[in-house]
Amino acid sequence: MMSNILLVARREFRQILALKSFWLTLLILPVALALGPILTSTLGSDEPTRVIVVDRSSADVAAKLENRFTLEDDRNTLRQLSRYVQRHDLQEADPQAAWSQHDRWYTEADVANFRAENGVEGAIAAIDAVRKEDTPEFEPDNPSFEFLPVPSALEGVEGEAFGEAARTLFDSDADDAPEMIVLVDKNYPEVPRIALYAANQPRSSFVQTMQEVLTQDLRDYEAAAQGLTPDQATNIQNAAPQIAVSTPPPGDGAREALLVRSIVPLALSYILMMSLMLSGSWMLQGSVEERSNKLLESLLACIRPEELMYGKLIGSLAVGLLMILVWAGCAAIAAYATQGVIADMIRPALEPVSSPGIILAILYFFIAGYIGISAIFVAIGAMVDSMSEAQGYLMPVLLAILLPITFLLQAILAGQGGFVVDLLTWIPLWTPFAVLARLGMGIETWVLVGSGVLLAIAIAVEMIFIGRLFRASLLATGQKPTLKRVLDRFRARPQ
Amino acid sequence: MSVLEVSNLVKRFGDVVAVNDLSFAVAPGEIFGFLGGNGAGKTTTLRMVLDIIRPTSGNISVLGAAPDRRQSNAIGFLPEERGLYSAMSAIDTIVYFGRLKGMDTSTAKARGMELLERFDLAERAKSDIGDMSKGMAQKVQLATSLVNQPELLMLDEPFSGLDPVNQGLLENEILRASERGAAVVFSTHVMQHAERLCDRLLLLRKGRKRFEGTLEQARAQLPAHIAVVSNADISALPGVHSAEAVGKGEDGWQEWHVELDPGVQPESVLEHCSTSGIALRQWNEHRASLHDIFVELVGGEGVEE
Repeated sequence: MMSNILLVARREFRQILALKSFWLTLLILPVALALGPILTSTLGSDEPTRVIVVDRSSADVAAKLENRFTLEDDRNTLRQLSRYVQRHDLQEADPQAAWSQHDRWYTEADVANFRAENGVEGAIAAIDAVRKEDTPEFEPDNPSFEFLPVPSALEGVEGEAFGEAARTLFDSDADDAPEMIVLVDKNYPEVPRIALYAANQPRSSFVQTMQEVLTQDLRDYEAAAQGLTPDQATNIQNAAPQIAVSTPPPGDGAREALLVRSIVPLALSYILMMSLMLSGSWMLQGSVEERSNKLLESLLACIRPEELMYGKLIGSLAVGLLMILVWAGCAAIAAYATQGVIADMIRPALEPVSSPGIILAILYFFIAGYIGISAIFVAIGAMVDSMSEAQGYLMPVLLAILLPITFLLQAILAGQGGFVVDLLTWIPLWTPFAVLARLGMGIETWVLVGSGVLLAIAIAVEMIFIGRLFRASLLATGQKPTLKRVLDRFRARPQ
Repeated sequence: MSVLEVSNLVKRFGDVVAVNDLSFAVAPGEIFGFLGGNGAGKTTTLRMVLDIIRPTSGNISVLGAAPDRRQSNAIGFLPEERGLYSAMSAIDTIVYFGRLKGMDTSTAKARGMELLERFDLAERAKSDIGDMSKGMAQKVQLATSLVNQPELLMLDEPFSGLDPVNQGLLENEILRASERGAAVVFSTHVMQHAERLCDRLLLLRKGRKRFEGTLEQARAQLPAHIAVVSNADISALPGVHSAEAVGKGEDGWQEWHVELDPGVQPESVLEHCSTSGIALRQWNEHRASLHDIFVELVGGEGVEE
């Protein structure tokens, strides 16, 4: 019996592997995942935005703007450096450095100290002394903005001529053509008007920061006019609360931790759903072909209906497992190719699914889910004579399976458990999805075992009824599977 | 010992009796024709022999045991409704069915290639069934039923849909299997093939057996008809059921259409004429064809000569 089941399974497996749609589907996911970052890095430029500040005032606005943007870039670098040091536990490189202090918002003084200690180069030199070989190097972002010297084309031109000259510069093909030009008039700050010319929609971060700098500058000017000394004015401007910031370490902490821990379980649940739908529909195609090509009688002369049914289920399971293996292989290659960056990210994600017991549970619920749901596809395939007829039954079945799973995945993503998630865990149709998805949140052992036992019983009962339906339907071509007929076939004994 | 033995077989589908108290046996090397109109119960009987469906009552013995898929290695079956996996090659299809019948891959492949050679399809062995003509695909399907060199070969309406060349090829394969010692059972409603091939026949009507025996025995079921020109009244001869004078006769000679009593051989009446001094100018026997027998016993519906 077993050899016949395996023969049928092998034929099913090979038939599905011969489909172009199988290979397209198999490759779409890794290609999409690979293209995502490539497109992001290709389409999203990390080159700094080139800016020219034409400062005709006596208020030294250009220097103030440049200083502020440099400060923000350095603060950002310091923040990134701090996360990097915290992630790789490298504080020992310099415990007193600002980047070893993770619990505060970096002030100008912190940035000044950072610069005084040779900035990012100094930090990297210190870190390299203690960095392990398998720890990736720190790579700072490029600065957000680059300030260019004022070109001669903008010297001495006023009004509309200035606008014309700016547009000419924007339209230039040169690599260092400016993208934004700021004109500070000679009457500034008495006439607080600044003109911003941009090749495209200006970056809001630039406009906001420029506004902050100029607002502060104008307030200093007004304070001086009211008789305050520059120091008094600066003190008033700089009066700000010290903000202590406490964030979870990278990949740890409440919501972030839950999300990270749920990534693999949710992905497993989602992949189970996807591969089931795909391999199920391919298997359905094969069953419909057997019926429409009228080769069932030839098969049934050699093997029992049950052998045919189990063979189809195992073939479908093998297809699903192959898809998952390929996807997992692609993920492993990606992790290797990115020199451990992804691996570093998914290490905490793999934590909740790395114990032998949980791995066994994953395998059990995955395989049980596959067999339980594929049997429904087998039953549909045994009852219909054409693919269009199959679609009619497939749609309601798919909706019944998929909709609750969608709610379930969303609930777990939102960090919510609750009655619905508990309920779905105990309904065998959705048990595999619910259990797999809940592994990241943590699931009680008794729930795991109880729902697993219930699922096994449900599948055993399902096999009895679907086996009867399958056997009774195989040679009944041309009969519409009405509800009464389906129920009759569920009750049917071998005849 | 019979390869196939069926006794008192009954199959009911709800209120419909598809097979009613059917008994027959087929010996090794015998070609057994299973004749009947549409809905006579031929396919149902074959499915019961194959254990695809179970009888309501009665017994079936295949190679001395109750029907079971474990005997599939000794059975070849060609169903009436034919079809194969369109994306599978001819040789892979034959090997697949061979393996389902318990053969190992290399033997199944060797026998499959041998059959394809015989069917003039060796060059298309690796072609997908979907790329073949209907006739080619039917030959591949025939090969799937022969690959295991079955002891019991069952063919359900095997000639339907075949062109004359392939019909000849199939007849040869049936004879070849019989010579090898296989019991061949085939159902048909084409009398020509049954008349040419069958050692014995079974006529089925609405699930009931109407006749079982050789072609000669079948013919004996119907009275012989003879066209006779004689100088005497032959209606009173022993064995003559009726004699009808045709025309007025000429110079004392009269033509008669004679029907003998059932079971009476024309030779015995001829002998009686000779010994009684009855002169004869013409003696033409019209022997009943299987078609005539079939129409008489089963009814003419759905039957081809």
